[in-house]
Amino acid sequence: MLSVTFMNVVWTVINLLILYVVFRLFLFKRVDAILQLRREEIDHATDEAHRKEKEAESLKESYVQKLNDAGKECEDLIAQSKKDGYDEYDRIVTDAKQKAEQIITEAKHNAQIEAQREKDAYVSELTDLVVHAANKIAVSKHDEESDKELYNKFIFEAIEKSE
Amino acid sequence: MSLTALGAGIAAFTGLGAGIGIGVATAKAVDAVARQPEADGKIMKLLLLGCALAEATAIYGFVVAIMILFT
Amino acid sequence: MDIGGLLKELLLEDKVLIHFDFMNGFFDINKSVVVTWGVIAVLAVVILFLTSNMKVHDIGTRQLIAETIVDGLRGITGGMLGEEGYMYRDFMAVVLVFIGASNLVGLFGLTPATMDLNVTAGLAITSIVLVEAAGIIQKGFGKWLKGFSQPMAIVTPMNILELAIRPLSLCMRLFGNVIGATVIMELLKMVVPVVVPAAFSLYFDIFDGLIQAYVFVFLTSLYIKEAIE
Repeated sequence: MLSVTFMNVVWTVINLLILYVVFRLFLFKRVDAILQLRREEIDHATDEAHRKEKEAESLKESYVQKLNDAGKECEDLIAQSKKDGYDEYDRIVTDAKQKAEQIITEAKHNAQIEAQREKDAYVSELTDLVVHAANKIAVSKHDEESDKELYNKFIFEAIEKSE
Repeated sequence: MSLTALGAGIAAFTGLGAGIGIGVATAKAVDAVARQPEADGKIMKLLLLGCALAEATAIYGFVVAIMILFT
Repeated sequence: MDIGGLLKELLLEDKVLIHFDFMNGFFDINKSVVVTWGVIAVLAVVILFLTSNMKVHDIGTRQLIAETIVDGLRGITGGMLGEEGYMYRDFMAVVLVFIGASNLVGLFGLTPATMDLNVTAGLAITSIVLVEAAGIIQKGFGKWLKGFSQPMAIVTPMNILELAIRPLSLCMRLFGNVIGATVIMELLKMVVPVVVPAAFSLYFDIFDGLIQAYVFVFLTSLYIKEAIE
């Protein structure tokens, strides 16, 4: 064994290469495949987590936006309804004023007509009275004193009647 | 007094150098561990490596002696 | 107590196992090559058993052992090779397992495969070819040739000699360690056959064998790292 033969050295090198191929195929390739699968799973899970986080962020932003918009809409609605209320109030008040004026005018008008009618009635009564007095005077005698007296009596009676 | 026996005996002298070298290396390694005990794992690994490499010269002498004796 | 006879028998046995009567014994196959075939078969069976039926989650004990072994081996060799040489760590792990297994065969009574100079020579030649190939792939052919005369032109003969000396030293180191361990174990077994060999075999066979495998791979990785820079 202290002699070196050429073929044996070649055989040893061939054996070593065969062992290397065996190891490579059966041990390293299989274990590498499993490690690769695991690494891919972890990468996949990390990517999923990132993606979901981004989605959650964007959703949150849109929700906050929607809330703000809703708040503003509320305020707008309230301001609008307040304005509508004030308008309605103004309208009603104007209407009432108009109606009141109209009533006052009508009342005045009516009062005038009433007064006129009263006066007319009074005048007709006066006319009746005058005619009556004229009749009386025409029947009785005429002289200045009794005329004056008659006139005064007539006027006092008229005044009393009208009081 | 066969000369092969003499040759083999002289070839065995190479153990002297290896012995001294490994002895000195071990002394220094023990000093280093005493100075810093928490590094003793690394120091022991280095010591073993150094001893295996230094022993090679002694082994060369042994192989030469065997070759002289048996071929 | 025939120490001489024992040593002669151990070291000089004709290890030819398969003899082809062809071309004056050129194609003889030594015992160590057959033992290497056996080692390869056993390792292949163990690997096939450990990596059958692998799942991604909820793994059993077998897959756990397989993954731990792969991670451990890659960690050891990757740490020695550094960042740029990580594509060679698979091969270094295979060499580590091979030498460790070959040295441990001595526990079972057979002579270890690495006790044959052919096997260690084959390993050393593979290592040196790998180192130079790594240098050429990384740097390109012209720059690799120029690297022989760095840092100064005077050290060029030394650099060229190192091409031959490095594998020789690797080979001899491994071979000498295994031969020395085996011879001492045989002598011990001859003197005290009962309990003492077990305790000593713990150091000589197991510890020494594994350390020599690690040193072989460490030195090759160091050369590769230096060639890739």
